[in-house]
Amino acid sequence: MPQPLSSKDAALFRQVVRHYENKQHKKGIKTAEQILKKNPNHGDTLAMKALIMSNMGQLEEAFVLAKEALKNDMKSHICWHVYGLLYRAEKNYEEAIKAYRFALRIEPESQPIQRDLALLQMQMRDYQGYIQSRTTMLQARPGFRQNWTALAIAHHLSGDLEEAEKVLTTYEETLKTPPPTSDMEHSEAVLYKNTIMAEAGKLEQALEHLEKVGRRCADVQAVLEMKADYLLRLDRKAEAEAAYTTLLERNPENSIYYDALIRAKGLSKDDPKALKAMYDSWVEKSPRGDAARRIPLDFLEGDDFKQAADAYLQRSLKKGVPSLFANIKALYTNVAKRDTVQELVEGYVSTPQSNGSAEGQADADNTEFLASSHYFLAQHYNFHLSRDLSKAMEHVDKAIELSPKAVEYQMTKARIWKHYGNLEKAAEEMEKARLLDEKDRYINSKAAKYQLRNNDNEKGLDNMSKFTRNETVGGALGDLHEMQGVWYLTEDGEAYLRQKKLGLALKRFHAVYNIFDTWQEDQFDFHSFSLRKGMIRAYVDMVRWEDRLREHPFYTRVAFSAIKSYILLHDQPDLAHGPIATNGVGEDENERKKALKKAKKEQQRLEKLEAEKREARKAASTGKSADGEVKKEDPDPLGTKLVSTQDPLLEAMKFLTPLLELSPKSIEAQTLGFEVYLRRGKYALALKCLTAAHSIDASNPTLHVQLLRLRKALDGLSEPLPAQVAEAVNAEFETLLPKSQNLDEWNESFLSTHKDSVPHIQAGLTSRQLLKPDTKSQCEQELTATLDSANITIDTALAGLELFNEWGSDQAVKTAYAEKASGKWPESSVFRLE
Amino acid sequence: MVDILPLSSYPSYIDLLPSIQTCNITNLPENYFLKYYLYHALTWPQLSFVAVVRPKNGYAQHGGADAYPKVVGYVLAKMEEEPTDGVAHGHITSLSVMRTHRRLGIAERLMRMSQRAMAESHRAQYVSLHVRVSNTAALRLYRDTLGFQVESVESKYYADGEDAYAMRMDLSDMWVDWAKIEREDRERAANEEKDGDEGEAVGEMGKADDKKDQERMVRVKVGRGLGVGDLVEKNEAAGK
Repeated sequence: MPQPLSSKDAALFRQVVRHYENKQHKKGIKTAEQILKKNPNHGDTLAMKALIMSNMGQLEEAFVLAKEALKNDMKSHICWHVYGLLYRAEKNYEEAIKAYRFALRIEPESQPIQRDLALLQMQMRDYQGYIQSRTTMLQARPGFRQNWTALAIAHHLSGDLEEAEKVLTTYEETLKTPPPTSDMEHSEAVLYKNTIMAEAGKLEQALEHLEKVGRRCADVQAVLEMKADYLLRLDRKAEAEAAYTTLLERNPENSIYYDALIRAKGLSKDDPKALKAMYDSWVEKSPRGDAARRIPLDFLEGDDFKQAADAYLQRSLKKGVPSLFANIKALYTNVAKRDTVQELVEGYVSTPQSNGSAEGQADADNTEFLASSHYFLAQHYNFHLSRDLSKAMEHVDKAIELSPKAVEYQMTKARIWKHYGNLEKAAEEMEKARLLDEKDRYINSKAAKYQLRNNDNEKGLDNMSKFTRNETVGGALGDLHEMQGVWYLTEDGEAYLRQKKLGLALKRFHAVYNIFDTWQEDQFDFHSFSLRKGMIRAYVDMVRWEDRLREHPFYTRVAFSAIKSYILLHDQPDLAHGPIATNGVGEDENERKKALKKAKKEQQRLEKLEAEKREARKAASTGKSADGEVKKEDPDPLGTKLVSTQDPLLEAMKFLTPLLELSPKSIEAQTLGFEVYLRRGKYALALKCLTAAHSIDASNPTLHVQLLRLRKALDGLSEPLPAQVAEAVNAEFETLLPKSQNLDEWNESFLSTHKDSVPHIQAGLTSRQLLKPDTKSQCEQELTATLDSANITIDTALAGLELFNEWGSDQAVKTAYAEKASGKWPESSVFRLE
Repeated sequence: MVDILPLSSYPSYIDLLPSIQTCNITNLPENYFLKYYLYHALTWPQLSFVAVVRPKNGYAQHGGADAYPKVVGYVLAKMEEEPTDGVAHGHITSLSVMRTHRRLGIAERLMRMSQRAMAESHRAQYVSLHVRVSNTAALRLYRDTLGFQVESVESKYYADGEDAYAMRMDLSDMWVDWAKIEREDRERAANEEKDGDEGEAVGEMGKADDKKDQERMVRVKVGRGLGVGDLVEKNEAAGK
C-alpha cells in the first residue's frame, strides 16, 4: 500500500517518473527532493530518487537510499521494483529476481515488473521461469504479436520445438487477411517458424511451407539459402542444383555454394575434368571473381595442376594481388604442388617476360610483375613448409629494390627477421614499413604488434596512440580499453608476462576478461529490443552464440596466458614485487633478498611515476568519455592489487572454468587445467584433465611428463586420499599409466618411439630426470644435442633453454647451449643471455 | 580463399562479431563497441556481410580454430532510422578489407551484397556513405566501380578534422515487385476458395512510414543507462 501524498505532491511524483523515463536526471532529482521536503519518509519517492541516482552512476548511494525507502514502505511494489533494478545494475541477478518477485507479489498485475522479471529470466536462461512469465504476459495482452512470438521463443530455446511452432501458428490463424509484404515483423515471424520446423527435422514440411510463404518474405537471400539447403538435404538434386546456381549467380565468391552444387550435380571428387569444366563455366560467368579460378588448384594434379597454377599465378602477379601467397600456401601440404609453384615462380623471375615492345608502360608493367614475383618468392621461402630464410631475404630485397614504396614488401622483410629469431630487428623493419604509409592504421597496428613481440610495451603504445582518441580518460590505453581492443590488450599482457611483470600482465588479461563479461551483458537489451524489431531469427542465433561466447579463440588465448601467469605467481611468489632475475633453484638466500629488495624499490618507483602521469592527465582532460559518462581513473593501473592475491590458483580458476567447459577439445586447456588442479591438490580433477588430453592426443609430450608427475604426486602423498576418491582415481589412472608399469622402461620407450621429435625428446629427458635425478648431466648433454637435430625450430630450441631453468642446471650448461644455438641461428637474438 | 558470407541471416555467422570488431580496430580509426555491431546485426540482419578465409578443411560446426575462420573484411550496414529527407534509404556504417587482401574485389562484392539486400528487403531508394576525401582507392571503388555519386562534402566529418564526401547511389532498380506478388497471392487464394473474398486493393505497400509507426510504438526506458538507443546517437558521427 503506497503512502498517501497530497494531490500536488502526487502530481510532482508523476513528474519524477516522467523525468526518469525521459532521462532528465537532474530535473528528476530536483522534483523528488521537492516532494521529500514535505514528506521525508515517502518510500516511493525515495526509491525513484535512488533509481535516478543509479542511472547517474551513483550506485552505492542509490543502494543506501533504496534500503531506506524499503524500510519506510515495505509494502510498496515500487520500492521493491527499484531495489531489484539496482541489483540488476550491479549484475547481481539472483537478488534482482528475488526483489522483482516481491514486487510482483504486491502488485501481480504490474506489466513493467513482470516484464523486468521476464528479461532477467531470459538473461539467466531460466527457461521454465521465462515460459511462465511469458504465458502470463500473453494472457494479459493477447493482441500483441510480440507476446506470441516471445512465448514461442521461450518454448523454442527451452527445447520444446513443437510447442513453439504451435504458438506461432495459433497467432497466424487469428490473421484474417495476410499482412502486406511490407510487414517485416510478419515476414520474419514466418521465416522463424520455418527454421523451427527445419530444426525439428521436418524438412519436407519446412520446404513446403517455404515454397508457400517464402515469396512474400523480405529477406530474399535467406529464403534462397534455406530452400537450397533443404533441397540438398532432402536429396532433391535437380532442384538443389537450380537453387545453388541462383545463389552463385548472386554471389560467386562463396565456396560453400560450389561444394553444394557439386553434390547436387552428383559430380565425383575423382573426376577432375568434370569439376574443372564446371568451375570454368563460372569463371566465364563472373570473370572478375577469384573462387572459381582458385578452387580447381585444390583438386588438379600433375600437368593439369601446373597449367592451371601457371595461369592463376601469372594473372594474380600481373594484377599485383598482395594476398596471392596467402591464397596459395594451403596447397603446400602437397609436396609436388609446392615444388611446382616454386618452379613456376622461379621461372618468372629468371626469364624476363617478353612483351615484344619497348614502350614505357610495358616496362612498368614488367617491373611490377617482377617485383610481385620476388615478393611471392620471399613469402614462399619464409613459409615453414618451404623455408629458406636467406633466399627469402634475397627475394624481398630485390622486390624492395624494384618497388621501394611497397608497404607489403617491407612487411615481409620484417616477418623474415621474425623467423630468423630476431624480434628486435623485426620490429625495426616493421617500423620502416609503417613509415611508408603513416595514414594507414593496418600497418600501424602491425608495427605496434611487432614492438610488443619485442617486449617494448612503451613503443607499442606510442604507435597505437597515433590512431586512438587520446582525450579519453586514461589516454591511448584508455581508448583501447574502451573500444575493446582485445588484440592489443592481449599482446600487451603477453609481453609483460614474458618480462615477468605479472601485475601489468594480469591487469591486461583481466581487462580482456571483463570485455567478455561486457559482451555477455550486451545481450540484455536485445531481449526486449529484438521483440520490438521482430528480427527473431537473428536474435535466437545471438542468444545461442552468447551461450558459447567464451569458446572464441580470443578468450582461450587470454585464458591460457592468465593461467600461466597465476601458476608462475604461485610457484614464485616473489614475482609479486616485479620481475626478479632468479635462477630458480640453488640460489642463496641473501642474494634472493637482495633481488627482492631491488624489485620492491623498482615497484615503488613505477607506482610513483604512474601517479604523476595520472595527475598530469587529470589536469589536461575533461574526464568525460565518448558516451558522456564520467569515467574514473583506474585506481590500480599497475595491477599491484591483482598480483598481491593470496590465492593465485583460485584466481586462475576464474579463467580456467569457462575454458574447460567451452573448449574441452583443446589439449592446451586440459594440460593447463592439470597444472592448476595438481597444485591445488585436486587429484581427481587433475586426472580428469589428463584423461581428456589423452583422448585428444595420447602421444602429446606435455601429457607424457604430466602423467609421470601425477604418478609421483599420488605415490608421495603425505596423507592418503579418502578411500572413495582413491579408488576412483586409481581405477581411472590405471587405463592411462598402469601401476605395474615400469616407469623407466615406459619413459625410455617413449623416447625411442619419438626419437625424431625434439619436443618429445625434451619431455622424455625431463621425465628421466624426475625418475632418476642422478642422470642430470647425461640429460643435459642429450638436450644440448637436440640442437643438432635436422628438424628443430627456434621456438623448440628456446623451450629447451627454458628447461634448464626448470631442471636447475648450472649457468655454464645454459651458456653452452645458448652459444651453440646462436651458432646454429647466427641471425637470431633470442639466445643472447643477459 | 576468401568467402563472402552473411553476418546474421541464414546461415548465421554472428559468432564472428569479435573477429569483425578486431578487423575494424586493426584497420580503421573509427571504432565501435561490440554492442553497436550487435545492434546492426539484430536490427537489419540482411544487410551486413563478412569476408573470411576458408579453413583448409572447410567450416567446422562448433569449437576449434576452424569454427572461427580469419576475418579479412566486412561491411556493416543499416537502414537510416529517421531519414531527414523522408525517403527510406540504406547507409554503410563501416566497410573495411585487410590491407593484405586487397585487389581481390572483396570490398566490391561486400558492397554489392549489401546494396542488393537493402533494395530487396527494405525497399531502400538509395544507399549513402561517407568516405575520406583523401581515400582515393575507396573513392574509385564507390564512384567508378559501383556507380556512386558525390552528393556533398561534409566539412571536418572525421574526428581528426578531415572532410568527407557524402556519396549515394540509387537502388530502386533492384526492388522486388511486391504489388505483383500480392496480386498473384490473392488470385491464387481466390482460385483455391471459389467463394473467396477478393480483398481490397493493396497497391504499393512499401511505404516506409507505415513501418516506422509500428516500430515507434513501444520504447521501453527502464533498464540500464546505456540502452541500444544511446549507442545509435553516439556512434552516428563516426561512420565511414
